[in-house]
Amino acid sequence: MALAVRTSKAGFAKWRAWAPLAVLAGLCILVSLFNSNFLTVSNSLRLLNTAAIPLVLSMGATFIILMGSIDLSVEGVIAVTAVTVSLLVANDLTGYDYGLWAVPVAIIAGGLLGLLNGVLHVRLKTPSFMTTLGVGFAGVGIATAMLGGQTVRISDQTFRALSLGRVGGVPMAIWIALAAVIVAYVIQERTRIGRWVYAIGTDETTARQAGIPIERTRILIFSLAGLFYGLGGVLSAAQFGQGHALISQGRLFTTVTAVVVGGTSLSGGVGSVLNSVVGVLIVVVLANGMVLMGVEPYIQQGVQGLLIIVAVALSLDRSRLDVVK
Amino acid sequence: MEHIRTMLPPAVLVGMVLIVGLYDPTFFSLSNFETVISDTMSLFLMATGLTLVIMMGGIDLSVQAVASMASCILAVYLPELGFLAIPLAVLGGTIAGFLSGFVSIALRIPSFIATLAAGGLVTSAAYWFSDTRSVDIAEDLTGRYLNWSVGTTAGISNDIWVGAVFLLILGVLLGATPFGRYVRAVGAQERAVIASGINVNRVKIATFMLSGTMAAVAGVMMAARLGSGSPTLANEFLLPAIAAVIVGGTAITGGVGSIWRTLVGALIIQVVRIGMTFMGVSVFIQQIIFGFILVAAVAVTMDRKKILVIK
Repeated sequence: MALAVRTSKAGFAKWRAWAPLAVLAGLCILVSLFNSNFLTVSNSLRLLNTAAIPLVLSMGATFIILMGSIDLSVEGVIAVTAVTVSLLVANDLTGYDYGLWAVPVAIIAGGLLGLLNGVLHVRLKTPSFMTTLGVGFAGVGIATAMLGGQTVRISDQTFRALSLGRVGGVPMAIWIALAAVIVAYVIQERTRIGRWVYAIGTDETTARQAGIPIERTRILIFSLAGLFYGLGGVLSAAQFGQGHALISQGRLFTTVTAVVVGGTSLSGGVGSVLNSVVGVLIVVVLANGMVLMGVEPYIQQGVQGLLIIVAVALSLDRSRLDVVK
Repeated sequence: MEHIRTMLPPAVLVGMVLIVGLYDPTFFSLSNFETVISDTMSLFLMATGLTLVIMMGGIDLSVQAVASMASCILAVYLPELGFLAIPLAVLGGTIAGFLSGFVSIALRIPSFIATLAAGGLVTSAAYWFSDTRSVDIAEDLTGRYLNWSVGTTAGISNDIWVGAVFLLILGVLLGATPFGRYVRAVGAQERAVIASGINVNRVKIATFMLSGTMAAVAGVMMAARLGSGSPTLANEFLLPAIAAVIVGGTAITGGVGSIWRTLVGALIIQVVRIGMTFMGVSVFIQQIIFGFILVAAVAVTMDRKKILVIK
């Protein structure tokens, strides 16, 4: 059940379901050959800490990609929520000091932007990649406008502990990411809306005939994704101790890479939030391995680009696409 | 509907010019119009290749990365290679476009994800070319090699001449050649085109190559204007470029569109920006507004009969 797959071609599907995990294992072995410190507890914790924010983000993005849609607004939403939370906790720009109460506010702000994505996408009947591209750009604009182009520094240490604090020797960010994964998994497996996502992604016309409220589900899922991005924005602000519009740079790319590398199909209906956990770990281990091997950091974006291409090429169910645009 | 799609954008442009002119009478002068048009040209050129891709029913999300890479290639190699650096930079764009097209077609990956991924590769290449820095172009080099872009001819800025030449070339290519008809046809009804025996894949790859090429030309002109190349030079241009195409009346569902519509669209974007700046709207708020203009324009121009399920 771990890696859920729903498709008719059982043999191939079975192979495909386990491929990401095999890639992750192979990658770990390869990197530990280069560096004996790789599999130590402290390095594993460091890796998981790096993985925390991408994990939270990919939980939201997975649901959207499972519906066969895409969300390109990740960076815009993170920017807005990171700036919102930075301005509401103790900081050097505003007089507010709401402490941890700022967290739900920021997460809800993310949810509202997600809601906006969903409503525009469904009501205006515009494709999700276009809608979210526009909203994402608007989000970066909102974040920049809120700060007037400045950077805000966070002085609230209780808030920063959300990322930096440790519980049982493990950084808080990892616990929060774990909680996000559990919540996402429960939504996927134990709620109607979780099941509807698969139905919509597999065949929307049939899903509609079966009485599934497509529009409402789509709007809800986009809002849900916004909530996850909101949490990601909060964690970013807590980690870096500041808020600015560029805090989210590169997050969209990593998130999409992680989801598709994990084996969730862009054509929808196939995959799971657990696939994305594996996908995030692949991306993070690969990045860590490249650093250990002395590869320049800017090459990583190129490598992620290649990963997207390879993963999508392997996972797209082409029997369902007759014309690829 | 088709009438509205053709006539609305020019009407909007005239309306916007009048509104801005009412607020600021100095806006109505030949020299000011020339400045506005000249300022629009790199955006227009970037959007021309994109127009072809969108008409085909695809999208290219790598144009800003390609333009940035071209600016880096130009700035780095201009001192050594002189004029040759210009075709080299443009060739870089053509190759990037080929990559996008090849990935999208050979691996049958939707263009938005293929070009997103290719954009990542192109950005890495840009950082590699520029050694992760912003590279300045010395003034004497600009004077010697880039005068075709930054100078003036017959009292009109050369940017405009370059834009006019490409408007003509691409307009003829799209309006009067078999290639142009195939692009339209692929956007309108791809299956019928395949059935009639036309090599659709070749048309698609050529279109993506054109998009990369034009993005690189735009990148070269931006670098010439700014006097430097950088891996993030054109990052802010993806949204305006797509918006220019869509606002001009080219539908993302494919099949409908033209280069001159994109020129109108690019001018609308520019005039709206000038108008907002004049009314004291901050550039950040402008970005928010452009985001929503894009979504609204897509909603208005889309042909919903062609897509049964909107994902």
